[in-house]
Amino acid sequence: MRELKLFLGPQHPGMHGNASVHMYVEGDIIKKSYLLPGMLHRGFEKGMERHSWVNNISLIPRVCVVEPDINEMAFAMAVEKLAKLEVPERAHWIRMIILELARISIHLMAYGGLGSPTGNYTIMYHAHADRNRILDIFEKITGHRVYHQYIVPGGVRKDLPVGIEQDIHDFLDDLESRYTEYRDIGIENPTILKRISDTIMLPEEVVWELGVTGVGMRSAVNKPYDLRKVQPYARYDQVEFDVPVSGYSDARSRVNIKLIELTQSIRIIRQCLEKMPNGDVRVPIAKGQSMRWTVPKGHAYACVESSRGEFGYYMVSNGGTHPYRVGVRGASYPQGLLGIEKYLPGTRIDDAALWVDTMGVCSPEIDR
Amino acid sequence: MNSVEFARELVESKFQVLKTEVVDQYQISFEVTRDDVHRLLSMLKQAGWIQLSYLSAIDWLEDNEFELVYIVMNWDKALHIQVRTRIDREHPEMDSVLSIFPGCKYYERECHEFFGVKFPGNPDFEKQLILEEWDDIPPLRKDFDPRAYSDAHFAKREYEDRHTVLNNQSSKQKQREARKERITTIGKGGRK
Repeated sequence: MRELKLFLGPQHPGMHGNASVHMYVEGDIIKKSYLLPGMLHRGFEKGMERHSWVNNISLIPRVCVVEPDINEMAFAMAVEKLAKLEVPERAHWIRMIILELARISIHLMAYGGLGSPTGNYTIMYHAHADRNRILDIFEKITGHRVYHQYIVPGGVRKDLPVGIEQDIHDFLDDLESRYTEYRDIGIENPTILKRISDTIMLPEEVVWELGVTGVGMRSAVNKPYDLRKVQPYARYDQVEFDVPVSGYSDARSRVNIKLIELTQSIRIIRQCLEKMPNGDVRVPIAKGQSMRWTVPKGHAYACVESSRGEFGYYMVSNGGTHPYRVGVRGASYPQGLLGIEKYLPGTRIDDAALWVDTMGVCSPEIDR
Repeated sequence: MNSVEFARELVESKFQVLKTEVVDQYQISFEVTRDDVHRLLSMLKQAGWIQLSYLSAIDWLEDNEFELVYIVMNWDKALHIQVRTRIDREHPEMDSVLSIFPGCKYYERECHEFFGVKFPGNPDFEKQLILEEWDDIPPLRKDFDPRAYSDAHFAKREYEDRHTVLNNQSSKQKQREARKERITTIGKGGRK
């Protein structure tokens, strides 16, 4: 049989983001594959060196489009480590609410994205409609729908608006009441169930070899390896939640874990709204001359658990008004590049889109 | 004994560490010489730090050195270890750690692309994120000036491109006119 070269993406409906999977196929079996990023490369790491510490706040949410708050949190934590800032108590709880709302939104988006490779678009419309309600809540809190620029070094930009608690409670109740419906139209649907069961398996040794973190890792190693539990940041050590795990990593168990994480996020947000104290939300930094604010010399690595895994910022300061070097550790870097190159050969063409969807590969994060 | 102290004893008993820095309870950083990096990383892998989280370089232009940073993670001990080392900036070369951490392949490739650091042992170094025909200084080095490639550069390139297109157009137009002329003369000749 003749070997063909196929490009999957960036315009393919089953692909996510601006990246292309190049595949050499024989029949419908992939023989060799690699990801071609670089279509979106915007040079963030160089750009951040040319902006002051405070100016960078507007640049970082653009690193990953669908989950901007994770970038803000990792950046803020790294700067706080360098500048030894103490964040007010209330800001920690507000940050957790924002991060968990973002996690729900991206899990919904990934779950809806399951519709395109499997050919069942109903899930996508349901999930995106609910995601839209989260964006409405974000708009009320931060003034922006997608790029929030809300979590800043030293706290959060402003306090929660009056009455937002009720909106969040309404949304969570509604989402919870429709949870079984989500399961029914999605992974309990016999067609999709057959399509995603026992496909693109990820054995445990491959996880360590590639360096996969997040849902991909937890679905394979059967241990609750989650940065929120292992290295708790903000106030994750003061709330109760479970980390779903599995010892058999096929596409179905990964999607299942994402769905269970939705319920855990709902649990966390409810506890946050209950336990949140009153008080300041921000430490003022360099009042009146924030552009000339300097951070002491040093280097710091701060990482948070994104929906795709460990997301970190490595930051170096030489005592100036600008960062000397900022390195972004994208969570989808290992499974996106090495995973596609090493692990897709041997599977079928249509499984490539399932890999990209269920492993959560976010291409702007690879390009950055 | 908590995990930071454990890691500190483990490393400092067997290696000559130039500088140790405890960042916080979840992170510790060791600076070692270039020759020790391989041995240290393989020892850490045996001790349970089996995942490479991050690998990158920092350009210290004033010291004429590159600093390489490897961050490895042990989930059971909940500890990130940074292994840092300095290499010469004139001949930046570091043995690849591909045999220890297979996941480092693309990190090293990116390091090569953006800093020009060579990693013998890593099989392929094709350009991935920047242009293939790029022959200038690697862009994340400090002596690379992005302003050289800002508006003026692209305006000039656009001007040239547009003019080549215009020239082509004009030549095509000339061809078209010549053809028309030929046809008309032939036609006229025919009539005569």
